[in-house]
Amino acid sequence: MDTAAPGGGNSGRKVIVRVKRRPGTREEAHWEEFALDWRPHMNIIICLRDIAERPVTRDGHATTPVSYEANCLEEVCGACAMLINGVSRQACSTLVDSLEQPIRIEPLTKFPVVRDLVVDRSIMFENLKRMKCWVPLDGTYDLGPGPRIAPEVQEKYYPLSRCITCGNCLEVCPQVNENSDFVGAAILSQVRLFNAHPTGAMHMKERLAAVMGPGGVADCANAQNCVEVCPKQIPLTESIAEVNRQAIRQAVLGWLLG
Amino acid sequence: MSTQPLTMSVSKTDDQSAFFWRKLHSLSGIVPVGVFLAEHFWSNSYVLVSPEKYDSVGQELQTLPFRPIIEAAGIWLPILFHAGYGFYIWSKGKSNAFAYPWMHNWMYTLQRWSGLVAFLFIGWHVYTARFLTGGRSNFGTVHTDMSNNLYAAFYLVGVLAASFHLGNGLWNFLCKWGFAATTRAQRAAAYLGAAVAICFALAGVLIVYSARFNFHPFAGYIQQ
Amino acid sequence: MREPKIIVVGGGLAGLMAVIRAAEAGVPVDLFSIVPVKRSHSVCAQGGINAAKNLKGEGDSTDRHFDDTVYGGDFLANQGPVKRMCEAAPGVIDMLDRMGVMFNRTAEGLLDFRRFGGTLFHRTAFAGATTGQQMLYALDEQVRRFESEGKVKKYEGWTFLSAVLDDHRISRGICAMDLKTMEVRTFPADAAIFCTGGVGAVFGRSTNSVVCTGSAQSALFQQGADYANAEFIQVHPTAIPGEDKCRLMSESARGEGGRVWVPKKPGDKRPAKQIPEAERFYFLEEWYPKYGNLVPRDIATRAIHKVVYTQKMGLEGAPAVYLDVSHIPRETLDRKLEGILEIYEKFLGVDPREHPMRVFPAMHYTMGGLWIDNANQATSVPGIYAAGECEYQYHGANRLGANSLVSCIYGGMVAAPAAIRYARGLDKGCESVSTVVYENERRRQEQINDSMLHAEGTENPVTIWKEMGDWMTEHVTVVRNNPDLERTDGKLLELADRFKKINLSDRTYWANQTLSFCRELQNMLVLARVITRGALARNESRGAHYKPDFPDRNDAEWLKTTRAHYDCGTIKFAYDPVDTSMIPPRARRYDAKA
Repeated sequence: MDTAAPGGGNSGRKVIVRVKRRPGTREEAHWEEFALDWRPHMNIIICLRDIAERPVTRDGHATTPVSYEANCLEEVCGACAMLINGVSRQACSTLVDSLEQPIRIEPLTKFPVVRDLVVDRSIMFENLKRMKCWVPLDGTYDLGPGPRIAPEVQEKYYPLSRCITCGNCLEVCPQVNENSDFVGAAILSQVRLFNAHPTGAMHMKERLAAVMGPGGVADCANAQNCVEVCPKQIPLTESIAEVNRQAIRQAVLGWLLG
Repeated sequence: MSTQPLTMSVSKTDDQSAFFWRKLHSLSGIVPVGVFLAEHFWSNSYVLVSPEKYDSVGQELQTLPFRPIIEAAGIWLPILFHAGYGFYIWSKGKSNAFAYPWMHNWMYTLQRWSGLVAFLFIGWHVYTARFLTGGRSNFGTVHTDMSNNLYAAFYLVGVLAASFHLGNGLWNFLCKWGFAATTRAQRAAAYLGAAVAICFALAGVLIVYSARFNFHPFAGYIQQ
Repeated sequence: MREPKIIVVGGGLAGLMAVIRAAEAGVPVDLFSIVPVKRSHSVCAQGGINAAKNLKGEGDSTDRHFDDTVYGGDFLANQGPVKRMCEAAPGVIDMLDRMGVMFNRTAEGLLDFRRFGGTLFHRTAFAGATTGQQMLYALDEQVRRFESEGKVKKYEGWTFLSAVLDDHRISRGICAMDLKTMEVRTFPADAAIFCTGGVGAVFGRSTNSVVCTGSAQSALFQQGADYANAEFIQVHPTAIPGEDKCRLMSESARGEGGRVWVPKKPGDKRPAKQIPEAERFYFLEEWYPKYGNLVPRDIATRAIHKVVYTQKMGLEGAPAVYLDVSHIPRETLDRKLEGILEIYEKFLGVDPREHPMRVFPAMHYTMGGLWIDNANQATSVPGIYAAGECEYQYHGANRLGANSLVSCIYGGMVAAPAAIRYARGLDKGCESVSTVVYENERRRQEQINDSMLHAEGTENPVTIWKEMGDWMTEHVTVVRNNPDLERTDGKLLELADRFKKINLSDRTYWANQTLSFCRELQNMLVLARVITRGALARNESRGAHYKPDFPDRNDAEWLKTTRAHYDCGTIKFAYDPVDTSMIPPRARRYDAKA
């Protein structure tokens, strides 16, 4: 089989990869080590594909291909978040040459593991629902152009709309864990985005009411890891502070003036 | 095709009590607890002038009208709430400063530990300075306490922990109440917090030193 | 009146638009997607979306858009649907604008437009260089709202296996597999709308996402849905070659002033920055003075091929040319192109604001797809509709940049009401179909799974896939020769044969990605043959389909839609006339002087 094995590299250089395997939700995790042929511009996805093509561990044991999530491979879909050498990041944009070996690959820890590196991040989508992250539309029929928006405003909020729901910000947040239902930075940043849109702002009150609820903005404890790890460099801590300000204003003014 | 306009979906009223308590917790660390700490450091810094001045200021404070009520409402209850709710918040988070050793992440962790240290210190401080002296603490008793190395060391640790906790807490407060919303403002707020922490720490250390070594650098003010 | 039941397969732009239209009409919809819909391939669309809003005082009109699209597609597109799409486009932009898509703005707060390939007008609205992502998110948010109101049910993490056809070959629902539990289940529906995207994986490495395998289209094809114009594959001129995928460098880079060049001296080893202006060969500008760097993609791609392979002028002898934006002010680049420049910087570690990018063409898009009628997005199987890249209707022989996003949204807008009308007109709905029909289909699919899982061969599916991709990319993309196409078809038959001797290294029934990949691979092998044989048959050059042995367009014989039909294991071709009732075909030349 496959004489043109992964890479078929003739440089002889190897990439040593250790993957935390977990066959299912109930099984215990274990580590497997693989030796792959090094090639230039190799990223973590290429490593995982090499393993799929030749699922044999470094010590020669046949195993199964590693289950993992990946789609766009250019860091816009958010699928391939995992822990690489202990750091939460996107596998596609993580180049092997930038890493210390052996490379340790693990699933995210803040989400339930389905299998190997596949985790269930549906909670993030549920929270987007809870926080009403949308512009309410009367309908998709033709109602003419949308509201005018100043270029500076567009430039300020466009970065927020690039959030790929990868979950890295939740993974590194000390406030996100099994004891808490904190929704995390990504979702709060979306709340800010929709509160900023002229039409979205018409429903700011409802959004803020949700944000002041359980797991909302108050659960942020300002460790600011989110902004360090965000692959899209979204100003998440600004978003959280802004949402805090809006929420407090609504709480105080709402109480005082109705 | 039926295309009736859709309104925002109505959801159950969210329980907003946690938001209220969290924000109150953040605020209570500044007002009144932080303000009291400032006042406390201020009144104690009279020791830098002279033992007599220190004792008279102490006397002044002891004779404030409605003192027990002011102390209870302005100091004891807020500190107990701030500490108690703080421990609850701590229990909800999981520090990961070793895995992600970024500065603010360390601050997050240190804020919790400094809070604990400050709280234990305050408890011990109140016990020794208030109860053991029967409320008659003066320069003499303080000087005796400070001459004890262990006492002095614990005072230093407590003072430093409280200073850090206040300075970092101020930064947290400014972010969490949305006063410092931009990255620029948050950086400025961080510097402000650091400045506050350093000032309190310096003042605190100086007071401890003064009480222990009878060091009164501003004694000259009295002649004038 | 009974409420019809609609299923949408695929959660990209077209799928989400169809879902929104159905939900708005009050019809319950089930939405199936392999990935969470927010991770669909539409996020990769970069440059923008076309609509003749004429906000730049250039005298643009929907008629000009229509003409550019038909001309750009070398007259192979049916003109009725294209015209309607172009007319709907301005309304589509307005709708997206109202949904909150963060389009770039002018000083007056209006939508900004940029130039794109194949037109002389500023017609492309854009949100930085991540327009598809922004649009997908906007639709995703609307669907989430409907979901929270109970009008939409999402099945994310399910893969489509087959349609459930009754005894009259009418679709009565779908059969799908849960990618976590590997459960195979049937879902009754009166009509199903397929919005399952592109076929990039057939070519191994492309600009497409991992899920763009064309598996669903192929499965439907094998169940009797016709497949049209498969041979028209768009190869994007500017991509960053990579081992896992070729990352797109959007046409918007050229729309904002980016220039394509090679050193005049072949094999010039100097760093790009040190090569003076006079020693650079801006071949697109030289050969196509009127459109310059913004010629349509098929033209640009062939020009790059010519420079690299015929004139041997590739960078240092390698298959690569420069795409240069380093002369554009950094501030402009960051405002309008940040998303794509960031990709180049991240994956290659070179800042394209400073250094010209090294790019090469890569498989990007399929103009062909499931055959649909001219009015309703209806496939040849009653009850099955298609919209988006997976159908063939709007782009003829070559798609213009930024037209795909329009066709996705427009297709979804048309498909949903059409499917609902069809469903309401049915004598008996899916609930009255015998459960045996569903049960049989489920069992058939489970048997396929079982036979794959227990196959005791020696072949690795990834290896077969790579070989298929290499052959398809080499022989069935930019330049096509009949002998090569014959050999490729033979190779595909060999691979299909080897596929029978497959051995799955994973035989579990839990999140088994090897199994789902094998199911896709089996379908890809069929689709690859449809593409190859379609190309082999078409002895002319038209749009993206280029045969050096038949270098000219031949309207007399080949102004026809290729319509592939699957008949008991064999692929048969028929040819339909093209609707050219509005714009008579004329020679397509972009090299005319300005």
